[in-house]
Amino acid sequence: MLQQALTSSLELLINKALSLNINLVDLKKLQQKTLTIVLSELSFPISFSVDSNRILVSGLTERADCTINTSIKTLQKLKAEQQITELIKQDKLDLSGDIKVAQQFASLAENLDIDWQSELANHIGDVPTHKLVQLSKKLANKFQFAAKQIKADASEFIVHEKRLVVTRSQVDNFNHQVNEVSRQVDDISTRIANLSKQISNQ
Amino acid sequence: MSAPTQNQSPDSQHTASDNTTHFGYKTIDKDDKVSMVAGVFHSVAKQYDVMNDLMSFGVHRLWKRFTIDASGVRPGNDVLDLAGGTGDLTAKFSQLVGKEGNVVLADINSSMLNVGRDKLRDKGLVQNIHYVQANAQYLPFEDNTFDIVTIAFGLRNVTDKDMALRSIYRVLKPGGRLLVLEFSKPEHELLNKAYDFYSFNILPRMGELVAKDGDSYQYLAESIRMHPDQETLKTMMDNAGFEQTSYKNLTGGVVALHKGYKF
Repeated sequence: MLQQALTSSLELLINKALSLNINLVDLKKLQQKTLTIVLSELSFPISFSVDSNRILVSGLTERADCTINTSIKTLQKLKAEQQITELIKQDKLDLSGDIKVAQQFASLAENLDIDWQSELANHIGDVPTHKLVQLSKKLANKFQFAAKQIKADASEFIVHEKRLVVTRSQVDNFNHQVNEVSRQVDDISTRIANLSKQISNQ
Repeated sequence: MSAPTQNQSPDSQHTASDNTTHFGYKTIDKDDKVSMVAGVFHSVAKQYDVMNDLMSFGVHRLWKRFTIDASGVRPGNDVLDLAGGTGDLTAKFSQLVGKEGNVVLADINSSMLNVGRDKLRDKGLVQNIHYVQANAQYLPFEDNTFDIVTIAFGLRNVTDKDMALRSIYRVLKPGGRLLVLEFSKPEHELLNKAYDFYSFNILPRMGELVAKDGDSYQYLAESIRMHPDQETLKTMMDNAGFEQTSYKNLTGGVVALHKGYKF
């Protein structure tokens, strides 16, 4: 029942997002239209149908006006309406049925704009929201800086330092040479000891 | 308390004579069952949804979603949600069939029907839903009326299940399908024992605490054990005339969804 758990959660999330959307969304054109998405990563389809001002998410495939076969990675690019034909050309997306339905759903996703700050303020108040937003901006900046720094260090290492780094075979060769010298020193020590013994006996 | 041998054949449900049937573990006159079941549901109607969520830990919502997904419902379909109670399936079907479609929420119990009607109206679902107080054995609809008939957690309360299945078959259109979502027999012995313990020790206490009616939930547990198992119900559907009958176990067989077509 993974499919039902997923569709149930998606339906809740999408409709909550629609209710928070500040742009005017017109669902009239999509009334009783269904877009079915078959993702290569999932073993089941997910269908999105429009009824009045709600989007219903289900596993029903019988009612699809348009079916898209694709992957999660490509799905993220689908938000832009004009991307659909480009993705079909690139063989990243297989579409059957009415392309207009897919375009209208893509346009709907593109037009979603939620004023999270204002929504949060309704629940926790203006001042805490302001502080929280400032904190999240600071954290985001720090993360961005850290990410930038890591990227720069990594490229520095690859371009300059990696050339100077001793390879494993070089280390093995060095170890072998050290062992050889050590063995020779041991031999000489034994020989000196024997000679000393002979001299002292004479 | 332990459950007696479950999953009788359709005929063995009537133990003493043809005029008797089961009410939980009790054997009663067939004529009395309707009023006794009605008593149970009049009592629990107002707390029905809360108790469903509590008892199943919310999983009943997924079982119902699975039923909707398996129904293959399309815009414009006519759907009968039999023993529809508080209208969970009706609400979803109403949105999926659209303005051209129709959904009939039927229940033998007026209290359940009233709670269902209030709930659906509060959700703004009014356009394509009709309410009918009806006994599943004597459906007050013309032959070949519905594309889909569902009965979720209702069949076990029907006095004569075979008669109800024949009645459903009659009102289905050719090509139409019946979906029966009902408690069934868990597939694994360990799960069966845990389920028995939960049903007879925890469930009635939960009912006592929340719905102030432990007896009704004791009946619920007993009626589940007396309900035919997966294979028996499938045979009953075959006997009623349904074709391509099949079932799918959900949550290890605690619940099963049976499906059959009329051609």
